[in-house]
Amino acid sequence: MVNVEYLIVQIIVVIMAAPLVNGIIKKTKALSQKRKGAPVLQLYYDLFKLFKKSTVVSDTTSWIFKAAPYIVFTASLVASLLVPVTTMIDSVWYAGDLILMVYLFALGRFFMMLAGLDAASTFGGMGSSREAMISSLIEPSILVTLMTVGLTAKSTSSYQIMEFMKGVDAPLIRPVYLLTFIALLIITIAETARIPVDDPSTHLELTMVHEAMLLEYSGRSLALMELGASIKQLTFITLLANIFIPHDQFIFISGAGAVLISILIYLIKVIFVSILIAVAEVSTVKLRLFSIPNLAALAFILSFIGFMQHFVLGR
Amino acid sequence: MDWLTPSSLLYWSIIIYLTAAIVAIFFYRHPHLCTLFAQSGCIFASALGAASALKMILFDQETLIITPFESTVPFISISMTLDALSAFFILILSILVCCVSLYSIGYLKHYYNKRNVSAFHALYIGFILSMIFVFTAGNAVFFFIAWEIMTVISYFLVVFESEDVNEKAGLIYIVMTHIGAAFLMIAFMIMFVYTKSFDIFGSSEAIPATAKSLMFVFFLIGFGVKAGVVPVHVWLPYAHPAAPSNVSALMSGIMIKTAIYGLIRFILCYLNVHNTWWGILILCIGIVSAILGVAYALMEHNIKRLLAFHSVENIGIILIGLGISFVAFSQGNGILGGLAISASLLHTFNHTLFKGGLFLGAGSIQYATHTKDIEKLGGLIKKMPVTAVMVLCFSLAISAIVPFNGFVSEWLTYQSLFSIIIPGQTGINIISILAAAALAMSGALAAACFVKLFGISFLGKARSECALNAAEVPASMNTGMGILALFCLVIGLFPVFFLKVVDKVVFSISGTTVIGELQGGFLIAWYPINVSGNAITPSAIFIASAVIILATAALIRLVGGKVSERKYGTWDCGFRELTPRMQYTATGFSKPLRIVLRILYKPGRMLETEKGDSSYFPLSKKYRVWTEPVFEKYVYDPFLTAVKRFSLRIKLSVQTGSTHAYLVYIFAAVLVLMLYNRLA
Amino acid sequence: MEFFFDLLSVLVLLSSFVLVSNKKITAYIKTFQIQSALIALIAGIMGWSIAVNEDKYDILIICVIIIALKVIFIPHLLYKTYGNIEYRVEKDFFMNIPIIVLICCGLVVFSYFSVSNIGSLTGFHINHQVVNSLSVVLIGFFFMISRKKAIGQIIGYLVIENGIFVTAMFSTNGMPFIVDIGIFIDMITAVMIMGIMVTRINKKFESINIDKLSKLKG
Repeated sequence: MVNVEYLIVQIIVVIMAAPLVNGIIKKTKALSQKRKGAPVLQLYYDLFKLFKKSTVVSDTTSWIFKAAPYIVFTASLVASLLVPVTTMIDSVWYAGDLILMVYLFALGRFFMMLAGLDAASTFGGMGSSREAMISSLIEPSILVTLMTVGLTAKSTSSYQIMEFMKGVDAPLIRPVYLLTFIALLIITIAETARIPVDDPSTHLELTMVHEAMLLEYSGRSLALMELGASIKQLTFITLLANIFIPHDQFIFISGAGAVLISILIYLIKVIFVSILIAVAEVSTVKLRLFSIPNLAALAFILSFIGFMQHFVLGR
Repeated sequence: MDWLTPSSLLYWSIIIYLTAAIVAIFFYRHPHLCTLFAQSGCIFASALGAASALKMILFDQETLIITPFESTVPFISISMTLDALSAFFILILSILVCCVSLYSIGYLKHYYNKRNVSAFHALYIGFILSMIFVFTAGNAVFFFIAWEIMTVISYFLVVFESEDVNEKAGLIYIVMTHIGAAFLMIAFMIMFVYTKSFDIFGSSEAIPATAKSLMFVFFLIGFGVKAGVVPVHVWLPYAHPAAPSNVSALMSGIMIKTAIYGLIRFILCYLNVHNTWWGILILCIGIVSAILGVAYALMEHNIKRLLAFHSVENIGIILIGLGISFVAFSQGNGILGGLAISASLLHTFNHTLFKGGLFLGAGSIQYATHTKDIEKLGGLIKKMPVTAVMVLCFSLAISAIVPFNGFVSEWLTYQSLFSIIIPGQTGINIISILAAAALAMSGALAAACFVKLFGISFLGKARSECALNAAEVPASMNTGMGILALFCLVIGLFPVFFLKVVDKVVFSISGTTVIGELQGGFLIAWYPINVSGNAITPSAIFIASAVIILATAALIRLVGGKVSERKYGTWDCGFRELTPRMQYTATGFSKPLRIVLRILYKPGRMLETEKGDSSYFPLSKKYRVWTEPVFEKYVYDPFLTAVKRFSLRIKLSVQTGSTHAYLVYIFAAVLVLMLYNRLA
Repeated sequence: MEFFFDLLSVLVLLSSFVLVSNKKITAYIKTFQIQSALIALIAGIMGWSIAVNEDKYDILIICVIIIALKVIFIPHLLYKTYGNIEYRVEKDFFMNIPIIVLICCGLVVFSYFSVSNIGSLTGFHINHQVVNSLSVVLIGFFFMISRKKAIGQIIGYLVIENGIFVTAMFSTNGMPFIVDIGIFIDMITAVMIMGIMVTRINKKFESINIDKLSKLKG
């Protein structure tokens, strides 16, 4: 029923590679600003240290506050299992599809927003409230984008879509894929609290969204939350990389070696997309909170016009 | 055995309901006994009803006709017909009634010696019975009578707490639903004109196509009012909060579903869908209701009004499924039609469970704190831990979040939207993708709304005395909710069994079965729900999540070792005087969305400052923010003013008050009648 | 080849959406510049293939003119006008931007519906490059309606012109050379006049809000 190798490879690659993305984005930003920047592996050190630290818990909180990090982390990890990092292993993991993935992230987000409200602090409430707004504006574009891509491949399963995309030559010069790619890039930026939408590097109440919800967390709970967020980010990047820039059709061998090569190429693509995101982050400024609807509207029409090009105008 | 047939089970269940009502009236001096008898009667009767319905659906596929009462007067015979569709709705009704009755045993305590509890029971049971009759009516006249009885009784239940506000709510409710009923009546008359029969199960072949389209529109308006679709939803947010919570659970949980039943029964089964535009119209209404319902819910801070608006949203989602199935049936795509209608029926079932449960939860909050205003609550999770868990489950379910039932039916709706989009057909494609976007947005907004509901009322610190002094509600109330919550989780994890029930119903309607396509096994939930290659396995996801949580906890323990946990106050930036008033409020929480979606709300605000000696130290500041009821203000009010003006003119010109004038009218009427007699 | 045209037509459409969702004047000009460059690319590819196949060079010449005029000269003029006035960001709109963007989205659907029964612009299937470029014209119009400042009007006018030009290219492989030249000359004149007008209005009313022009009547 379930291919155990797939699950093991998937979990290991995702957990190992997720913090790397943050490191690469930070390094790229630092280099572009002529700074040296933190080492690429900084987040690993941080997480490792946080796991060992003692935690401080607010006395107004309830069990929701303690359960939330585990739920957020698990939801992200399970969602990432639905997006294969390599198509070289047949997943046989019919547990879910992209719609399920979106709603698993919604589960994590729901508890994260609740955790923000649990400590009775103003920061948490503010973060939750903003997150509620951003997520509900961006959600339609996610579904339309994923469904459009899915419709071209006649499936909502990410594995099937990736299999289909292997057969499409040069997807990115086709209007439908180009538009959905850009839409998904915007979505990725919005969903993972990146710069035009949210600033991950400040703790200023005017700008912060994601960080505001995590403000009360410390120690291993914080580590889980951070890891969960970076896994979510990696999952979206995997979608971008593996759907729109398929690579497995160029590997002509099979067996364990092929899997290894495939994962290596995958990692290179992840680095490439991370750099792309970092460039986007460097070249824009943080939007006002109430300009985010503009971005969301843009993402929506991108995916909608992509859909129209293919399914209404028909080519 | 003879008495185990569906018909006799249903028969007995009705008799027990009636007995319970009579007993309740009999014991009117002892509210406690009366409640106990009436509600346990209801629980027993509903169990029988559920058994009858399940038996009907799972074993007997033949349509049963029960005629307990026949008269020589034409059309005045009570003819009850039980088929799989009726049985399905009776099943939903019975499950909900069972839980709500259990809940009511505890909940009604705060009415003792204040209101006439036995009258309440009689009405409550009458309400349930009228709905059973609506679901089983075999001819249109009986259907209409049952429909009207249901409306009237629910009116009395809405005004049961008889306060001024409630009376206004009741008035709006009864006026709106009667306008709807008028449309239904016209549709039934058209039906009679062409077929010379009121038989719902008869054939509609004699009706010409234009008349069918006209009937469709009238049915849509008539049932639409009851279902509360935008733009005829305005009664819903008044009536639901006014009624006692157990009644609102029934009203929102099942009464508005009678309209869904009506749409399926009359349009799909009776008229047979011929035109694609019927489905598209329903789809559009569904999209608009889904978005606007949840958008207006976000701005409400009265728990029950908020939930009432969510009913609008969920009816919208049900209608999206229904619309797709109508489109698919009209195109002759039976499998897709079956899939979409299964999604829609499953969502009907799910909505009954979680919305019923949420209204009960709202009732518990009201019972414990005597307020419906979220802004006054806070920190209830510590006072009412069991209720909190239950409300959390329902909130997750209604937001379509993964391990719960709401997700399964929304996933099926997404899949049917996915399947209906094929290159080449243009209009349907555009509307379908917009429907998908609407579904996604309503899901996310619902999540935002329930984070608000749960986060503000259960988490944080108490915002008022009433929340501070709250205590856990009686066990019977929690049990009633608990059963519903359990159902939500079980359907979410093992959807295939419930889909099997739905599938049998769909088979009886459309003759197509989708369970073969779904590749599911009986109760073996490991099998995924599978729609043309797309699959989800909620139970596998759940197991995986559980394993990951345990593994993570163990791994962290291994890596980090044992660490201490310190309790400390919330981070206050060194201010050291964090009060409950500094928490985010529900108004504050919804502010970003209020600003972004201002076109829907037309929000306004006002700041009044009372100046002190210095402008830096004002004596008081009053800040008020409001949103406008856009539909009432811009659609209904102008219409009402016009009607009022017209009536006034009539009153002045016709209703003069002089006896002679009235005599002239009567005289003229007699003359016209005689003339008509001559000419006709 | 068709794929390139599809892609380019979508990109032109996209650039007009980017234009609509922007507030900064410099971004207007830059987006217009990019759009014109894309159009020059379309003309270039089309002109090259015609030049190779049929030995006609007029579209290639037009391509060069577009680059000279729309990518370099007019943006330069606009930047100069921009330097003369004091505001940098458009602030007040009749509607908020997401609504404008969604309306533009509706315009695309609408232009599809209007063109879909013409059928045989090129062949039997509807030509979706034409739909895209026609949408650009409509969006340009709507852009003019939604912006209050005069410079927005100029850009809107230019975008309409771009849209019409691309529509002509896609539907008939380019208009007669003389017509194109005529349009270009008209356009330069229009932009120059408007540029002068903007500066004048700015001096006269100390604002370039075109609402103020209603004061001029009687």
